[in-house]
Amino acid sequence: MDSKEVILLKKALERQKKARQQAERILEEKSNELYDVTLHLREANNRLENLLNEKTSELDGVFINIIDPYVVMDLNFDIINMNSSAKEFLQVDHTEQRVNLSRFIHSDFTDYTRESVNSMMKVGILKNYRAKININQNIVKWVQINASLIYDKQRNPIGAQGVIRDITQEMEVKKLLSDQKKQLNLIIENSPLGIVLSSNGYIVKANNAFVKMLGYSENELKDLSIEKISRPDDPDEFNYHIKQMYAGKLNKFTSINKIIRKNGSPILAKMMLNVIADDKDSLDYQLAIIEDISKEHEAERKLKDSENRLSTLISNLHTGVLLEDEDRTVALTNQRFCNIFLVPTTPEQLKGMDYSRFADQNKFHFKEPEAFVERIEQILRDKKAVLSDELEMADGRVLERDYIPIYSEGIYKGHLWAYNDVTISKKHKKNLEVQREKYSSIIANMNLGLVEVDNEDIIQMVNQSFCHMCGYEEHELLGKRACDVISIKNDEIIREKNKKRLNGESDSYEVEVITKKGDIRHWLLSGAPRYNESGAVIGSIGIHLDITNQKNLELQKEKLLGELELSNQGLQEYAHIVSHDLKSPLRSISALATWLSDDYKDVLDEGGKQNLELMQEKVASMDKLIHGILEYSTANSAELDNANVDLNSVVTEIEEVIYIPDHVQLSVPRELPTIVADRTKMHQLFQNIIGNAVVHIEKDKGLVEVLWEEEVNFWHFTIKDNGVGIPKKYHQKIFDIFQSIGENERSTGIGLSIVKKIIDRYGGRVWVDSEEGAGTEFHFTIKKN
Amino acid sequence: MKGIVFTEFLEMVEAKFGLETVDNIIEKSNLPSQGIYTSIASYDFNEMVSLITQLSEEVGLAPGDLIYAFGLYLFSGLSKSHPEVIQNYKTPLGLLYSIEDHIHVHVKKLYPDAELPTFKILEKTDTSLSMVYTSSRGLYRLAHGLIEKTFEHFNGKAEITYELLKEDGTEVKFDIVQYG
Repeated sequence: MDSKEVILLKKALERQKKARQQAERILEEKSNELYDVTLHLREANNRLENLLNEKTSELDGVFINIIDPYVVMDLNFDIINMNSSAKEFLQVDHTEQRVNLSRFIHSDFTDYTRESVNSMMKVGILKNYRAKININQNIVKWVQINASLIYDKQRNPIGAQGVIRDITQEMEVKKLLSDQKKQLNLIIENSPLGIVLSSNGYIVKANNAFVKMLGYSENELKDLSIEKISRPDDPDEFNYHIKQMYAGKLNKFTSINKIIRKNGSPILAKMMLNVIADDKDSLDYQLAIIEDISKEHEAERKLKDSENRLSTLISNLHTGVLLEDEDRTVALTNQRFCNIFLVPTTPEQLKGMDYSRFADQNKFHFKEPEAFVERIEQILRDKKAVLSDELEMADGRVLERDYIPIYSEGIYKGHLWAYNDVTISKKHKKNLEVQREKYSSIIANMNLGLVEVDNEDIIQMVNQSFCHMCGYEEHELLGKRACDVISIKNDEIIREKNKKRLNGESDSYEVEVITKKGDIRHWLLSGAPRYNESGAVIGSIGIHLDITNQKNLELQKEKLLGELELSNQGLQEYAHIVSHDLKSPLRSISALATWLSDDYKDVLDEGGKQNLELMQEKVASMDKLIHGILEYSTANSAELDNANVDLNSVVTEIEEVIYIPDHVQLSVPRELPTIVADRTKMHQLFQNIIGNAVVHIEKDKGLVEVLWEEEVNFWHFTIKDNGVGIPKKYHQKIFDIFQSIGENERSTGIGLSIVKKIIDRYGGRVWVDSEEGAGTEFHFTIKKN
Repeated sequence: MKGIVFTEFLEMVEAKFGLETVDNIIEKSNLPSQGIYTSIASYDFNEMVSLITQLSEEVGLAPGDLIYAFGLYLFSGLSKSHPEVIQNYKTPLGLLYSIEDHIHVHVKKLYPDAELPTFKILEKTDTSLSMVYTSSRGLYRLAHGLIEKTFEHFNGKAEITYELLKEDGTEVKFDIVQYG
């Protein structure tokens, strides 16, 4: 250890020593202080204890003498001391017997009591303990106890003291009050009247009815006042009343106000405002009782309206009304009544008049005055309702009169006369009957059979013609099922049609009927549904026309057509056979003529030779003619073998086959279409027209063009040439058989009739546009399939 | 300032820097008490300021860091001299939470004249504590060290952040979040 360290340590030690001495000094000072404090405390304690003892005994006296029951108990609830008032109240005396307080505890309050005691043990005091106690078996009392713990000198609790206050009556009053409050609330809350309590103008309380009436919540109402939501009819008066009320000059007033609901809609309310003044008689609360009278008001308005309507109704009634009371004084009448009886006053003036002499005064209006008076007297005696008495008046009018006695609770109070001018309706009725008769006779006499049946096919009505048509009498038909009586060959049609009839359909159809005599007749039947007033189908009406004769004619026609067809066919076959048969001798003649010419050309002179040539020519011509007839007859008969036909190839074929003079050119400017048709027929068609065209050109350069156009339903072809043309008069004729114009030997007059036939078969049309010397256009159409 | 703070401080200096340093700073500080301290008496706070200033110069460390280190040291000293106080707590947050209401009350019992900092609790959860340190002394770094050591004592870990509400450090908000 070097000296420096020693010095340091010495220094440190010195500091520690001094620090220790410092600490010891402090401790000694503290010790002294403590001793003084202890002495002081002991002294103070003694003083306080004496004071306490004195006070305690003083207090003891006080408690013993106080009016309220006072009890001291030990920690086992045994009574140590109590004042006379406690003895009296609890009906026990601790000096006579040991009294334990726990026996007073009411069974409803054991838990509460335990908690209260525990809390007192903790905090030392018990404040406002409120419970029932059992004094004895019969008496139960409400008490309030304030108690505190008593400690010994060591501050250990040794008991408790308490003051008991009998609050039985107070509790009873309280309960009574709360019951009453409850009842009052019940009444207020269930009252249909709105009840509002306001203070200084602001609503403090409102009942359910009021809240519902206005739609505000109770909280929202708190910011409102009665004045704010009221819209009085007379605001000045209302405000004056309110002011008076605030000034204490008015205790209550009633007003009928509009009150505005939360949603802005008003209700009409009767409002009673009352002032509830406090003890000092200054304004405290205003009580408002509000009754919603919107409905009453509305009802009253409606009643008034309906009264108005009724009186308007009566005054405008088409019936003359006279209401008399039991003394026959006029209670009510109307303008119409005055008009009917030509009374020169207004209905209002008649009111209150004695009308007992009315009948006598007015009898002159009637055709039979005395009967009128008698009838009225009789009716008044009987006092029974009489309806629709018919009265004829002197001026030709007819009145209908009702009498209705009026009883109120069984007592006759008067009666009502009602007069109706039925003149016009009477006339109408008559007119109607005339009309009906007219139509009935039309129906009965018309030539058509008419039958009405209902939905079950039961005959309701037939006319005379129908009876004639079917041979049955009317009584044999009415009420029977139509299909049972009238036998109809195809009666399923009828059933089907009747079904349709139910759906409101009307139509016409033919039926075959067997009449009563057994004849078969054809009827055309036209049926329509019958409707009742409300538009429901209740049956059908049938109109029948006997068409047997027409039918027979029709049948005949059909038969003739059939025969015609047969004969046509025969004719065609005949033509066919004939042309064949004719051709072979013709060929023989041709051969023979040729031979003759060959074999005898040296013998024959020029004339003979010429005649032979002519003969050959005529034979060729004849052959052509026969060929034409053959084609014509087949044009109609043979079946069409329809297929796609390229008309270009058809025209090419034709160009190769027919003779075309050298100066004529056949041209197809636009490629022809392919159509569905019979190729052979198309060949015939085009060949005949083109063949015609090419040979009838006398110009140096002939041109025949095949043109075409497509139309919606047709192909339209045109063969155009610049030939000689066809005179107008032949334009139609050329299509008839054996018609040829000009002296051309090549023409047989059959070609164009064949054309026509083919075009007919294809549903087309053929016509000619031509100008003599300029050229011809052959037009034809072929229907697209 | 309580004597125990001085005695503990000098003990720390001795332990960390040696007896010579203790002697040096006492000599240089020119203290009215002449460096003689007993834990039960109180001394002028300025003596502590002088001591720390001198120590800072002597060893070349910032005063704040020295105060923080002292806080760490002081906890052990206090827990040795008053172990019963710390035994009352099971968690570090529980201890910190009770400084004002419990520990300082006990301190006041022994030393009614003690001038103690206040710790106002702003928010407390099971794992966090937010409080404001207020003291005219501004020794919040000392408090920081003490809080740090408290967690170490209970083998706990926490993130301790502070924010100076006043620049001189007389009011500082500590946010402590315990983890682990």
